[in-house]
Amino acid sequence: MTAAIATLILGFVVGYLGQRSRLCFISGYRDYFLMHDTTLLKGVGGTFIGVLAGYILFGFFGGSVPAFPLFLQPSLPTSASVWLITIVSGLGVGIVGALSGGCPYRMHVLATEGKKTYWVYLLGFYAGLIFYNVATVYLVDMLKSVLN
Amino acid sequence: MGLPLQHVKVSPFNAGLVLGLGAALVQAYFKVIPPVANGFCMVCHPKDLFNWTADHLFNLNWGYGMASTMWPLLTVVGVVLGALVAAYQHGEIHLRPARQPLFYFVNGFLMINFGLILGACPIRIVLLSAYGSYLGLIGWVCIGIGVLLTIRFQRWSAGRAVDQAKRLPHQRKMT
Repeated sequence: MTAAIATLILGFVVGYLGQRSRLCFISGYRDYFLMHDTTLLKGVGGTFIGVLAGYILFGFFGGSVPAFPLFLQPSLPTSASVWLITIVSGLGVGIVGALSGGCPYRMHVLATEGKKTYWVYLLGFYAGLIFYNVATVYLVDMLKSVLN
Repeated sequence: MGLPLQHVKVSPFNAGLVLGLGAALVQAYFKVIPPVANGFCMVCHPKDLFNWTADHLFNLNWGYGMASTMWPLLTVVGVVLGALVAAYQHGEIHLRPARQPLFYFVNGFLMINFGLILGACPIRIVLLSAYGSYLGLIGWVCIGIGVLLTIRFQRWSAGRAVDQAKRLPHQRKMT
């Protein structure tokens, strides 16, 4: 219940700020690559700085920040399939995000402004979620077992 | 339309800073963990909410994160409500017809599938990288490369279309 309420409040604040600032995690890179405009890219930088400061600060004050930073922890070797899947899906997210003109967060914000284009996007988004549960998740498992 | 309230303007940097601090805060003190660096995600949290609801209503046994075991994470509901309040307050809600619906439907469909395979949206990949995950960093770089490749392709495609349009009158004269 605590987590649900906390994420609802955080989502509300971030949704409000996102609508007022046009914060987007795809348009930032796009604007930089296209016009060397760093306005939205600063939002990505702000997030990185904010979250890093948060992990350090809250970890210092006894918050739950286990195994931070991860690169200093002894870990099991990552299989080749995981690297491959990360690279391919990362490229996929970048390509699809640039084609549609924004990240899922920005699309949710734009949909609230009454732009039906983004209602259709979200319809595809949640239809895709059903497809993921019934097909993609098994296909990825199969791919992992073939590659390992 | 809109409430008579003061016009609020926020810089993307400040919005990002609040997002980052908030994501770290909900993980550290409000049990939005495991997995780590999961304070804010726009593919994992909608999946958790959707699958939790489907599981409880239809007993479908679709998977969701450990943080959503008792109650689902409501990030996406909060984002929609917050953006709706901001848009209403500033008179920015205008119904506009859908353009290229099939294109956007397919984009949404592909975005969540790639995002869930990656295990992160473009926001969570930043959180993961800040947490010190190599995979997160690789994913972040790949997202950037994906955006760059798409822009290069679109530029090339637009340039080609302009060239063809320029050539057309000449070709007409020839024929």
